[in-house]
Amino acid sequence: MLPTYSASSRAPRPASLRVRRILEGISLWLAVLLLLFVQPIFAEASEGAGELRFVDPQGRHLESATLVNTDYQVEVTGLVADVRLKQTFHNSSQEWREAVFVFPLPEQASVYGLTMIAGERRIVGEIREKAVARKEYAKAKNEGRKVARVDQQRPNLFTTHLANIPPGEAIAIELSYQQPVRYQSGEFELRIPTTLTPRYMPGDVIGDGANAWQGGWARPTTEVPDADRISPHTVLPDDVGPGSHQATVAMSIKAGLPVSRVSSPSHPVTPTWNGNTVEVTAGDGQFAMDRDLVVRWAPTIGMAASAAVFQQQWLGEDYLLAMMIPGLESSQQVARELVFVIDTSGSMAGESIRQARQSLLRGLDTLSQDDTFNVIQFNSQTASLFIDLAPATGNHLARARRYVRNLEANGGTEMAPALDAALHQRGSEAAFETADGVPRLRQVVFITDGSVGNESALFQRIERQLGDTRLFTVGIGSAPNMHFMREAARFGRGTFTAINSVSDVARPLDELFGKMQSAVLTDIQVQWSDAIASQSAQPRRIGDLFRGEPLIQVVRGHAPQGSLRVSGRLPDGSAWQQSLNLEQAASGKGLHRVWARQKIDGLLDARTLGRDPDAETRGEIPERVTALGIKHQLITPYTSFLAVDKTPARQVHAPLTSDSVPTLLPAGSSTGMLRYPQTATMAPLLQALGLLGLMFSAAIGLLKKSAFV
Amino acid sequence: MKHLCLLVTVSSFTILALGLWIPFKALVAQELLELAWAESQARQQQVRPWPWADTWPVARLTFQYEGSGQHHDAANENRRSLIVLDGAHGESLAFGPGQVFGDAGNAGPTVIAGHRDTHFKSLKHVRPGSELRLQSRDGQWRTYRVSDTRVVDSRHQQINTAMLPRDALILVTCYPFDGLESRGPLRYVVEARAARSDLPVAVVES
Repeated sequence: MLPTYSASSRAPRPASLRVRRILEGISLWLAVLLLLFVQPIFAEASEGAGELRFVDPQGRHLESATLVNTDYQVEVTGLVADVRLKQTFHNSSQEWREAVFVFPLPEQASVYGLTMIAGERRIVGEIREKAVARKEYAKAKNEGRKVARVDQQRPNLFTTHLANIPPGEAIAIELSYQQPVRYQSGEFELRIPTTLTPRYMPGDVIGDGANAWQGGWARPTTEVPDADRISPHTVLPDDVGPGSHQATVAMSIKAGLPVSRVSSPSHPVTPTWNGNTVEVTAGDGQFAMDRDLVVRWAPTIGMAASAAVFQQQWLGEDYLLAMMIPGLESSQQVARELVFVIDTSGSMAGESIRQARQSLLRGLDTLSQDDTFNVIQFNSQTASLFIDLAPATGNHLARARRYVRNLEANGGTEMAPALDAALHQRGSEAAFETADGVPRLRQVVFITDGSVGNESALFQRIERQLGDTRLFTVGIGSAPNMHFMREAARFGRGTFTAINSVSDVARPLDELFGKMQSAVLTDIQVQWSDAIASQSAQPRRIGDLFRGEPLIQVVRGHAPQGSLRVSGRLPDGSAWQQSLNLEQAASGKGLHRVWARQKIDGLLDARTLGRDPDAETRGEIPERVTALGIKHQLITPYTSFLAVDKTPARQVHAPLTSDSVPTLLPAGSSTGMLRYPQTATMAPLLQALGLLGLMFSAAIGLLKKSAFV
Repeated sequence: MKHLCLLVTVSSFTILALGLWIPFKALVAQELLELAWAESQARQQQVRPWPWADTWPVARLTFQYEGSGQHHDAANENRRSLIVLDGAHGESLAFGPGQVFGDAGNAGPTVIAGHRDTHFKSLKHVRPGSELRLQSRDGQWRTYRVSDTRVVDSRHQQINTAMLPRDALILVTCYPFDGLESRGPLRYVVEARAARSDLPVAVVES
């Protein structure tokens, strides 16, 4: 180092020589240290790219390359909503892509049309048997043709497969579906889900490897064999591409009655009255797909309908839909045995558990002195507040309130043991009846988000163990599994409701608890005047009706004439009867689909419960469902929609990558998905910087010293 | 010129000192935590290691790892024992690994995160099959075997706590281990499952 200077400064100043030696030594050590710290930087640069899945060959980090946006055009006519759902998939990458998107639809939606829109071209899809659709899809995909397929995984869960999206371009698919509008207590309600709460998959993982997750998808388990198809990757809104996962909604409501009020507990809505129709837009033009959209409308006071008949001709056959609300007003004062079951699994964490706690506290308020009650909570395990049903005394209620306020959410969703506990728990003989010897009415209130993958097994369980209990469900959170709520309540001979936000707890719950305390119409028989057509009426069995709930039945091959007689029994044993004139039928739309859907549901129920009265005479259930699906052009568990372009777009040798489009985490839900914490300190950087600085100054110092000498 | 030189020297020293202070603090804090842990085990309640601390020890974690290559001694295996704190906010991670999810006393899954440059530095030498042990406040030890180690991208992946097996222990730290960027997106995940033979013992004892 710097030999010329050393020559001139040898003899005269030995002290400065020593200093210089020391300095040289220090800087040498610093250099060594620096090298040690700089080495990792190179290491980082060189080893980073190879290890990762989310880095493309050029070493750039990829954001999810497929953006999805949806648009809902909703047209409500009377009691049926007809929806055009357009999903646009935009491929922002440089490669050809296949998009796989798991999405929710309303639990009673009947999907009857699919159109693929690529630029100017519109390709109309056709209904196919599921296996056939899958095969044709794979073929078209490999040949480079644009192809779209929509399958049903659950009644409220569907999957879009869309192959050969060109780089930088967008392809849209348009689904047509219809859904019944819920009408109860003089108010209409329409729910449009946009995302789903991640489902819990009970059972053991099938196959080897301890790892329950593979590339973000859950692995099939013994109890949920299709777990990998119903568990899309759930992400926060910040983690999807810019402008992705936005929905727009335009509704037009032709209620057939003057509508006075339109409201929504989930989004801001702007209604515009336009003659007989009300146009409604939701959100500020668009909103994030992170919660269900709920729109309610009510007819002007005094104009609420108590009965309606709609008719339609389809393929030369008449379809009639009759709706009737039995005016049940008598409330009953019977002592009850009330068991509250609250879901405290991980998916309930955040906003949901607060809603659930509030719901339960409200439920406790409805107890009267003669009642007995208990509170059961479940996550991975089931625990109950009291060992046995306890009388609703002030002391017990205070304990229950304290218990409920302290409930926290985490763990799995093992629902079956909780159901067993709730349905089996019986008070002692003395508690089973009141002091006067009147048997108590057994009711179970089940408060959950329903985020499980094994719904059918649970329905079976409810049906088997129900006895004389009634099961009521309360859906919690921004995106509850409404299929579970509706069906669990139906199998449990109860009814259901859903809470949308902490501020919307009161109304739906008061409605539900009111129904639970009112008279119920049982043993309902419906007689259409045409006895032969009456055989085809769907749903075949009408469940019990609670206060404010309508009776709805669809019949095929029945001319709009004659009348309809409905009879039932009230709790006090008295008979109830009412008839409806069919000649005033208004014309309706899509009634044949309502009929087919009800018939399919009936068949699938029989499959769920493992008993089928017509098995010998009419063949296997899957074949009959397939036949109905193909005739009425409906997606069923056995039929799918397929739209194929004829001309190939992608060169066969150009690579095609498959991209699972994530869904958004429902608003307000928290730790179900835990983010990885920050786990590095500034220490290495600070050390490296400090050493670098020291070495720099030492070098300067050395240079200066030598220069001056 | 002279002033500039002085300034650079002083500030470099300060930065270096700060950089060395972090591992030093991590080292010293563990000693203090040992005391707090002993006390919380004795009294069976949360004990704050120092009065103004916003966290407390919840478990003790030990893991064995293979020597880093320079040591060729007979054992060639090292053990590291750490006191785990509650929560994984920046403050608690500076003193010890933090329990992000779960409850070491309970049977459910547990997720523990630690800094890659201090406490969990030696995690890179942990291999599938290595043994991890976790002691809860009541003194019980649970033994886990590492089943898998992997690198994940925290921008795209999260831990689905509802899907974790009930007997899982997950250790999380940043990746790459020698990286300088403190806010990088990559995480190194060590997944372990309770050793089978250990389960019945735990049941009997509880």
